[in-house]
Formats: sequence, structure tokens, C-alpha cells
Amino acid sequence: MTRLLAMIWPELRAPEADAAPFEPMLDRLDDLSPRIEAVDTGVALVDITGLGPLLGEERRIAARAVAQARGIAPLEVRCGVGENRWLAVLAARLARPGRPGAPAAFRDLRRDELARLPVDLLPADPATRQRFALFGLTGMGQLAALPRSAVGAQFGPAGERLQALARGHDPRPLVPRRRPERVVSRVPFEPPVEGVGATALALRRACAELCDVLRGRHLAPGRARLALLLEDAPRLQASLAFPAPVLEPDWIARLLIGRLEAAARNRRMEEEPRVVALLLALDRLSDPASRQLPAFEAQAGRWEELRWSLERLAARFGEGRLWRAELSRPTASLAEQRSRLVDIGP
Amino acid sequence: MTVVQPLPEVLESLPHHGLRRGALPGPMAPRGALPTGQPALDEALRTDGWPRGALVHLDAPAGAGATTLALGSMAAAQAAGGVVAYLDPGHSLDPATASRLGVSLEWLLVVRPADAAEAVELAAWLARDGRIDAMVLDLAGAGAARGLDRLARLLVRSGGVTLLLTGAAGREAAGVRVRLRRRGWLAVGRDLVGQRVEASVDRHRWALAGGRAEIDLYFAEGRRTDPLLRAAATPAPVVGRVEERPALRVVGA
Repeated sequence: MTRLLAMIWPELRAPEADAAPFEPMLDRLDDLSPRIEAVDTGVALVDITGLGPLLGEERRIAARAVAQARGIAPLEVRCGVGENRWLAVLAARLARPGRPGAPAAFRDLRRDELARLPVDLLPADPATRQRFALFGLTGMGQLAALPRSAVGAQFGPAGERLQALARGHDPRPLVPRRRPERVVSRVPFEPPVEGVGATALALRRACAELCDVLRGRHLAPGRARLALLLEDAPRLQASLAFPAPVLEPDWIARLLIGRLEAAARNRRMEEEPRVVALLLALDRLSDPASRQLPAFEAQAGRWEELRWSLERLAARFGEGRLWRAELSRPTASLAEQRSRLVDIGP
Repeated sequence: MTVVQPLPEVLESLPHHGLRRGALPGPMAPRGALPTGQPALDEALRTDGWPRGALVHLDAPAGAGATTLALGSMAAAQAAGGVVAYLDPGHSLDPATASRLGVSLEWLLVVRPADAAEAVELAAWLARDGRIDAMVLDLAGAGAARGLDRLARLLVRSGGVTLLLTGAAGREAAGVRVRLRRRGWLAVGRDLVGQRVEASVDRHRWALAGGRAEIDLYFAEGRRTDPLLRAAATPAPVVGRVEERPALRVVGA
């Protein structure tokens, strides 16, 4: 029988929350189970089927998962276990900490417990909720007890799906995520170097080494991320998404340095920053030969290829050189009002 | 007295002197071409259009239609599936006019270099990259430019076409030079809608020079009404320097 562990981090579900720790937490949970699904930001499903003999009872497995996630970020988490994703997630939603201020809560939910729960917990739209109320359906048990054909006649296929949930049936399988692969290089500077520009040589070497590794595996990165750890200031970071997977270390390094220098300028640092270490990560790895270019319009594909060249050109000649024209008011009497230019620099 | 050695003996002795006989010159590999947008000019060039890899110098006085011809060529290159660029250091390009002349703005890269030197450098960069099929290098009024020889060499390798709009600066570097001279105005009633231009191919690195063509270059507004005018007009014999037609007439310049 399938057993799923749902984990909900309420602090990550807030609209303005910083979701950065979520991915690293999922990476850490990979050590527990190979089948993990990121349902939404702050909600994860872990397949714990068959882990009992190895890790003990389900509450202990959940405690272990909580400990691993809290190693990344000490956030409050609610855990629920059920035999399908609906029961597991609902269990996590209903879990309450045993004592006030406890960092984690746990609940196990079985099908027969659903009958006592209100229909408001079902994922129904407001109109359906209102119609449930009109029919006097307040508990999931009442909805589950009705004939399926009667529910279908009154509420349509959506009502039938809600009734199946009320009966504890959820056919949706867990869809395990693919762990995003990346290659990382860390270059420490001892003693620290002064200025972003002074790291260029080391960055170029790091880029070349990582690109060599990827070339050997017939892979190319779609994104590069660079962080400079500073001696007495927060780290400087830059990210560069490529229009197509690329293995050109010189250009990757040049464009990253350009972005970092811009970031340093924006921060308006009074003195040259003292750089302790450099962290370079290349991710979104894919086969460089598997690019898909737009079909049916010849120029669309050519333009996609050109974008990468334009990035280099902007890095070489500076901003404000590359434009695309658009017609704004074609019938305007003054020529300068008929069209406008849109900067297509990076 | 001078002793003249017979030719067969000379040929036999060549290897002893470290010399060898060269290969016989064969026919040049066919080069592709980009249409100019003017069938008569394509014919006059004898290469079915601007030969790929050419730096083309359009030698024309101001107002003689060089920009119109260049934009028409860009439109034709786009129609053939190409991506084109306009290098405009003088900020003189009017995209609305380009659009009316048939250029699709969606696939037009507008480059605005700081000066003529940077324009040539950028053109060389784009030529080396090889992803732009045709570009216009508009150096009219942008001052002297150096590096055109290098640009011409890069173009030969990459296969792109660059139309150079300038005075005498690019005369020597260009592989193809076309001189434009106005021969008359195209008028509908009292409105001038274009000009008839004589294009003569003064230099052609890849074919025989000397071709001539008379081409009609319509102003942006004129081109838009051109199909209607052509449908309305019936051919009439040329009388003196004035060609009479019911709707469209050519007025001697």
C-alpha cells in the first residue's frame, strides 16, 4: 500500500515569502526518498512506501524529514501521512503542534476519518460550496454516502471528483521531480583580492574547467550563476541565462564579470571590495545539439541564434547600440512620432 | 649571343629549381546572391542580385535613391528568409519609411554606433559572426571611416552582403560598385511619387562590369500606390524625354 508524507511550510506559502530555501530543502529530502514531488511552493510530497523496516514508524520518518529540512532553514513545518496525495496533504493541513511553539506537527489520516470532517475542506469553488449548503451537505460523510449518479446529475463531473475525494479516493499519482543537475566550482583567494576585475582570470579558468567537464559529457549549461564572497560586506551575485545552451567559457566569464561590475556600481561601495572566494555554478544542463528553434518562419530561428551574438556585441561595445524598431503611430505627420526604437541590449 | 632553351626542356628542369607547374585555372565556384529588389538591376549585375560576400558601394549623389534602393534590397533579402541590419551612426533611419518600403521591422536589427569608425567595427563584427544576411552601412555624413578593406575581406569569408552608403570613402574597398544617376521623376498628376534612376555597374569582382539598368524607385508613399498605378497605366511610346501614360508619367530631369 502506498504511503505518502506531505510537508507544508506555512511561512513559505505567504505571498511575499522568500522561497529560496525550498529547492535546497527538497534536495536534502532526496537523501530520504528518491520520489519527491514539489506540489507548489512550500508544499512537498515524499513517497515513504516501504521505508518502515529501514527507518522505523511513520512518525519517526517524518521527524527525520523535518530534521533534514530544518538543516537548511529553521522553518515551522506541518507533516501528514496518508495512502494517497489527498489524504496526505489534508492530514498535513489538519496537523497541529502538540505544544505551543513546537517547530513541527504530525498527523496520520485514514479514509474512515474523513466522514467526520466538514465539506469545506474539499477543494470546491464558492458556488459549489453554496450549493452544498443549500442541499444541507455539511459533512464529507454525507456527500460520500450519496449515490454517485445523483451527485453527477446535480453537480456534474466536478461534483463526482469531490465525492471521490470525500470517500478518500484520489487517483492522481505522485510525479517525482528530476533533481536539477549543476556543476559548481569554488575558488578561494588567499590573501583576498581587491576589486571585481581582479577575479576575472580565476573566473575564466573556473569557467573553462567546468565547460571541459560538461563537454566530456556532451552537455552544455543554460544558466550561469556567480557569487563573490566579500570580506566585510554581503556577497555580490550575478546570474546569466543563455538564449541557448552554450560552451564558451571566455564569453560566459566576460558577461558574468560585466554583470557583477554593474551590481557593484549599483551598490555604491566606497572602496574596492575585498573578495575572499568565488562561487561559480552552471546549471540547466542539456544537450547542446537538442535546441529547438521556432519553425515555419525562417527568420525566427535565425533571430534566436543571433541573440547570443548580440549579447557579446553589447558586452564588447556597451549599451545603447542595439535596437529594434516598432511602428507606434504610422499615420502621424511628424516622422519621429511614427515609430520608436526598443533597446534590445541585455 | 643568347641561347634560348626549348620550352619542353624548361618545363622538365622546373623541379630542379624548386618550381612546379600550377594548376590550370578552372571555373569559379558559383556564389549565391541576394536579390536587389529590382529585377532589371539583378540582370545588369549578371549575378542575379548582390553576390554573397560583397561589399557593395552605392555611389550616388544625395537624393538619388541610394537609401531607397538599399531598403528595397533589405526587404527582398527578408523575403528570401534573411535577417538584416541597418547600421546608422547618423541616426537617419526612419523605420516607418523602411516599413512602407517593404522592410519587416520584426526582423530588422537597428545598430546605432557612436561614430563611423565604430560603425565599421560593428559591421565587421556582424560580418564575422555570419548570422546577418545583409546589412546597410550608412556612413553618409558620418565622417571618414577606416577598416573597410578588412570588412570586405571578412564579408568574402562569411558570405554576407553589405551595402555601403557613403561618398567616395568606400570606393576602393568595395567589390561591387554601382553608380546611380537620376534620369527623371515619376509623377502622377502633379505629384511626384518616385524617380527613374540609371544604375551602372562600374566595378564587379565576380562578373563582368559595365551592366546598366533603368530602375524606378518609388518614394515610400508612391510604392504603396504603385500596383494600382501600374494597373491603371497602359504602355505608351516615349515621346522625347516625356513618357506619356494615362496615370503615371515620367518627367525628364
